[in-house]
Amino acid sequence: MILHRLVRLLVVLLVVTFLSFALLSLLPGDPTTQILGVSATEEARAQLRQELGLDDPLFVRYAAWLGALVTGDLGTSYITSVPVTEALVERLPVTIELLIAAEIVAIGLAVPIGVAAARRAGGTADQALTALCFALLSTPVFVLGVLLILIFAVNWQVLPATGWTPISLDLGWNLTSVLLPAVTLGCGQLAVYARLLRADMIATLQEDYITLARARGLSPRRILWRHALRPSAISLITAIGLNLGALIGGTVIIETLFGLPGVGRLIVDSIFSRDYLTVQGGVVLISVGYVLVNFAVDLVYAAVDPRIRYA
Amino acid sequence: MRRRLGKGFWIASGWIGLVLAAAVLADLLPLPGYDETLVGPPQAGPSLAHPFGTDSLGRDVFSRVVYGARVSLGVGIGAVLLGLLIGAPLGLLAGYRGKATDAVIMAVNDIALAFPALVFALAVVAFAGANLRNVLIVLGVLGVPAWTRLVRGTTMAFAGREFVLAARALGVRDRRILWREIVPNVSVPAASYAFLGMAVVIVAEGSLAFLGLSVQAPTPTWGGLINEGRTIMENAPHLVLAPSLVMFLTVLSFNVVGDRLRALTDVRQSGLEHVRRAAAQPLPTAPHTAGGQLLQVADLRTHFVTARGVVKAVDGVSFSLERGRTLAVVGESGSGKSMLIRSILDLLPGSGVVRGGKVYLDGDDLTVFSPQEMRQVLGTRLAAVFQDPMTALNPVRTIGTQVAEPLRVHLGLSRKRALAHAAVLLASVGIPEPGRVLRRYPHQLSGGMRQRVTIAMALSCGPDVLFADEPTTALDVTVQDQVLRLIHRQRQERNMATVLVSHDLAVVAEWADEVIVMYAGKVVERGPAADLFERTRMPYTEALLQSVPRLTDPAHHRLRVITGRPPDLAALPSGCAFHPRCPYARERCVTEAPPLFQETREHLYACWYPRGTEAALADPVPVDPVPAALGDPGPAGRDRNGSEPGGPGHNGAGRTGPDLKRTELAGPEGADNRGR
Amino acid sequence: MAGSGSAHLRPPGQAVLRAEDLVVEFPADRGRSVHAVSGVSFDLLPGETLGIVGESGCGKSTTARALMQLPPPLSGSVRLDGVELTRLKGEALRRTRRRLQMIFQDPISSLNPRRRVRDIVAEGPRVWGVGGDRVDEILEAVGLDPATAATRRPHEFSGGQCQRISIARALVLEPEVVICDEPVSALDVSVQAQILGLLEDLKERYRLTLVFIAHDLAVVKNVSDRILVMYLGKTCELAPGSELVERPAHPYTRALLASIPRSGLGLPPADQLISGEPPSPVTPPSGCRFRTRCPKAAPRCAQEEPEMRSLGGDRWVACHYPETETETETGTAPA
Repeated sequence: MILHRLVRLLVVLLVVTFLSFALLSLLPGDPTTQILGVSATEEARAQLRQELGLDDPLFVRYAAWLGALVTGDLGTSYITSVPVTEALVERLPVTIELLIAAEIVAIGLAVPIGVAAARRAGGTADQALTALCFALLSTPVFVLGVLLILIFAVNWQVLPATGWTPISLDLGWNLTSVLLPAVTLGCGQLAVYARLLRADMIATLQEDYITLARARGLSPRRILWRHALRPSAISLITAIGLNLGALIGGTVIIETLFGLPGVGRLIVDSIFSRDYLTVQGGVVLISVGYVLVNFAVDLVYAAVDPRIRYA
Repeated sequence: MRRRLGKGFWIASGWIGLVLAAAVLADLLPLPGYDETLVGPPQAGPSLAHPFGTDSLGRDVFSRVVYGARVSLGVGIGAVLLGLLIGAPLGLLAGYRGKATDAVIMAVNDIALAFPALVFALAVVAFAGANLRNVLIVLGVLGVPAWTRLVRGTTMAFAGREFVLAARALGVRDRRILWREIVPNVSVPAASYAFLGMAVVIVAEGSLAFLGLSVQAPTPTWGGLINEGRTIMENAPHLVLAPSLVMFLTVLSFNVVGDRLRALTDVRQSGLEHVRRAAAQPLPTAPHTAGGQLLQVADLRTHFVTARGVVKAVDGVSFSLERGRTLAVVGESGSGKSMLIRSILDLLPGSGVVRGGKVYLDGDDLTVFSPQEMRQVLGTRLAAVFQDPMTALNPVRTIGTQVAEPLRVHLGLSRKRALAHAAVLLASVGIPEPGRVLRRYPHQLSGGMRQRVTIAMALSCGPDVLFADEPTTALDVTVQDQVLRLIHRQRQERNMATVLVSHDLAVVAEWADEVIVMYAGKVVERGPAADLFERTRMPYTEALLQSVPRLTDPAHHRLRVITGRPPDLAALPSGCAFHPRCPYARERCVTEAPPLFQETREHLYACWYPRGTEAALADPVPVDPVPAALGDPGPAGRDRNGSEPGGPGHNGAGRTGPDLKRTELAGPEGADNRGR
Repeated sequence: MAGSGSAHLRPPGQAVLRAEDLVVEFPADRGRSVHAVSGVSFDLLPGETLGIVGESGCGKSTTARALMQLPPPLSGSVRLDGVELTRLKGEALRRTRRRLQMIFQDPISSLNPRRRVRDIVAEGPRVWGVGGDRVDEILEAVGLDPATAATRRPHEFSGGQCQRISIARALVLEPEVVICDEPVSALDVSVQAQILGLLEDLKERYRLTLVFIAHDLAVVKNVSDRILVMYLGKTCELAPGSELVERPAHPYTRALLASIPRSGLGLPPADQLISGEPPSPVTPPSGCRFRTRCPKAAPRCAQEEPEMRSLGGDRWVACHYPETETETETGTAPA
């Protein structure tokens, strides 16, 4: 079972890396122009192409690239002359911290909201929370970010609009600098999670075993948190995995908006400087990370739902 | 349909229509050009001439927002259609064909889903060129996996339904089945998803534009406008706020429309507890005397206020029960028998419930108990077992945790002692190797074993009354017998009372001491089991007995057919609710609801012309002037409940008001019966 | 039970529908398979009603679908008027569909919620280009108003009425054999009697041959000429209804009858005739599949699978130790 999954994971990783490699390699735009400039001669270009192996068939280039990737070598940027791996590793902690902080905001608020809304579905609290989630869901992350900056940084001036303090430098300042970005990023997810959890909780609360738990004289609190939450959490966990893609997409915006030195910002900057090796490295890093997290999510299911564990 | 979609749907549709019209007709509207500079003072706030103000080049922001809608809506609609055109056929194919086709399509799909869409879109658009066509194609293609998944899931759900099998059995070709049977059913969820998808795409396009990677200047886009305004938002916040607001409202509208469409296919709407509304006035309870019985239910009513009217699920039910006895509640679906149990246990679902009547346990009125007080009674003194053992146990908790829980909560046992006690309980309901079963999860047990577990849980705190709501209906006949035997044995060993709800008259005849027959929320006949089955009075009971096939009947024996169908509880027939289906109905049955008459002291029935009596043969009798109380459902029953204890063995105790009874039964029918 | 064999089949020429040695398996986890139906045989004479009875998981519904070739059985033969259905594919199979129809258990799920009732019934005639003029007649025959049916969708009808619609859809093509898979088990008793009566009426009117599948022995007995008892994918006993009920030979049949409360048959209590619950069809017991619950099980039952054999008359049983051989006082001499 585990072996089967690992094989599957490996296949997915191969396909994902290949597609990332191939798509970006096949796109228009000649890297030799980027390195040598527009005025270079055809001979010089041809020679460089050969040196870089750009004339080899796609699969051969992929194999070579993959071989290097396994050793952690994603090439060296033609533009900045910095090894891509180095650039990514330097930026990664910022993005990861942002992601984790955003998930903490999202899940930490979504679970109580979802449970509270489901408890008396259709009631006033439910309607208010549902409307709030709907509004959050409909607010693009950059709109929310701009609004929060306008309120907290421009008007009240209680939080920095931009900038980043690494955790190693000062924890307090680090948390201050991550707060607005994490709340901005987390709020969109919060709405998705809370709505899912609410819907599943409502479905679970119709089940006979909940009615029977009530018939056994258990308190509403106990029923909601001990009996209903876990069977209702399956879709939520799936969503956390699947939505990581949206969240990572969000980091690109957030890092640009709040001026954070993360992987997303690096990708955007590299796009504008047409540094396609760095873009490729970034896309591969994110895709692989995404696949791995979803693999982990699959394993978490089993812990939550014994039906899957023994299936 | 119109009303079910709600007001929000129509407002949202209106907004979408407005934005769409503005985008399409932008060139015809009396607006300054979107790139026309200095049509007003730079960075001016909103004014009559420029409702959204002007930007730093003095361009009209309103005009720019209107033209920006072209890109947003164009990409939104175009990309969703593209995703639909590619994804929906793939999903239909995978969902309908299944097997290898499905495996291949879904494997590819899963991999496609593994790309973080926005990052990928960024990279592709950046290198392929940031223009409308590329943005549309990239966002459209990135939407394909989600479309495939949605359509495949819905298709599968319907392809497994029996109407598709029936179409194949008719010899309908696959293509026609897809178009006629499946596509119409997939179309509602697909329409819903199309709107939700447009919201997603509009946001995604906005994100690209915000990063400067969508349609390039001078063409305005919403995301681009917000990005431009961001740098000077301290001085001119309207440059950010105006496009943000329009974008928010548009995305919200698409989400609302999609959500309302989805709600069409999904009707569940109730939580764990009732919605707190202005407390509905409880229904009046008829006068009665609380006796000394173990369980007494007096004039219990449960009505639901629905859009279609008041549904009288339980309407004036009275009975009482002593230890060591089994009361069976019989009726067809919709007769209110399950609702009666839930009303007694205060487990009513949903909102809009209006209640009335009293429930006494050893003389204590449970209907005035607070929720906390009620929880002390539930599980310890009253316990329940439901129909379907597959859904009666929590799938993610071990049997041990579940069986031990009431012991820990109510009796305060430690975890270890509770588990030890749980093992004893499981053994007592005939579960082999209880120690091992404690560590199992429900899905690892068979249906019969699960029902034994739920019975063990119900018995764990030694209840006085066990309510078993169709406890064996979901089980096979051989297992059914085992479970009923178990309940019967436990009742005797523990000297409990049992309330057994069933639609199966044979089960009832075998296991019950007393029987209540319910029809349309009311008791229509009640009495000791043997008496009720042998001297049936109410035509409905009679018809029910005769419409059940018997093993001893010859083959092709024509069963008694009750015409028509059970009544609509929101629109009950006048008079006796059974009269439209009753072959013996006369005029009086149409105009006047019969009260409960007494056949013997224990045997009651609600019929003007009961079977097997002279009244049934007599000519129609003009309605007698009866005491006012008689117009009310079940005065005699109330009287019985109020003045007499239930089972034999308590004969005569607490008996009051024989005179009243005589008065009430003074009608000719009553007199006839009393003479028996 | 747990038996197979086809000694009980009548000469091929007489039967309108003949199923021989049907085997249906489904894939289960870990490469194993569910042995849903394992060597079931039966046949029907024209105008006959065969009842198939058994508990959940005995394979009765799977058998019904195997007869319909939806999906076809893994092996075995289904002959309709001598034509071997299991060998037909695609268009050739589709052409036989008119003659073999099916009525399903769930009246709601078996009707497309998005189509009008009359269109549902008229679908068959539309596909085949015949019998379109019979649609209204058949709607009336099942007790529905054609005018109402033309405008309403299934959710506007009750469960019993939906089952009438299903019946109309199946009968409009004038099939020879109709397979009824638990047609009344989702209905209330009062409605159940209506549908059973309707089926009898229609059977006479259209000279139908019926396979009637149900878990309720009393219901099956009411409509059937002969009854086949199934257990865990095997046949146990086949006999005319009254004989099966009055003189059950197979221990499982006896247990089934004894489990019915108030059967009035004077059998010992059910808990003396059967214990436990059916084993998993993924790992069925060796030999006789009923032996794990049978009070009479002997070593032979684990080693040797009993085959259907005659008990005289039209009574057939698949058991090494059937009841009749010991209970001579009940009458029939062993074959």
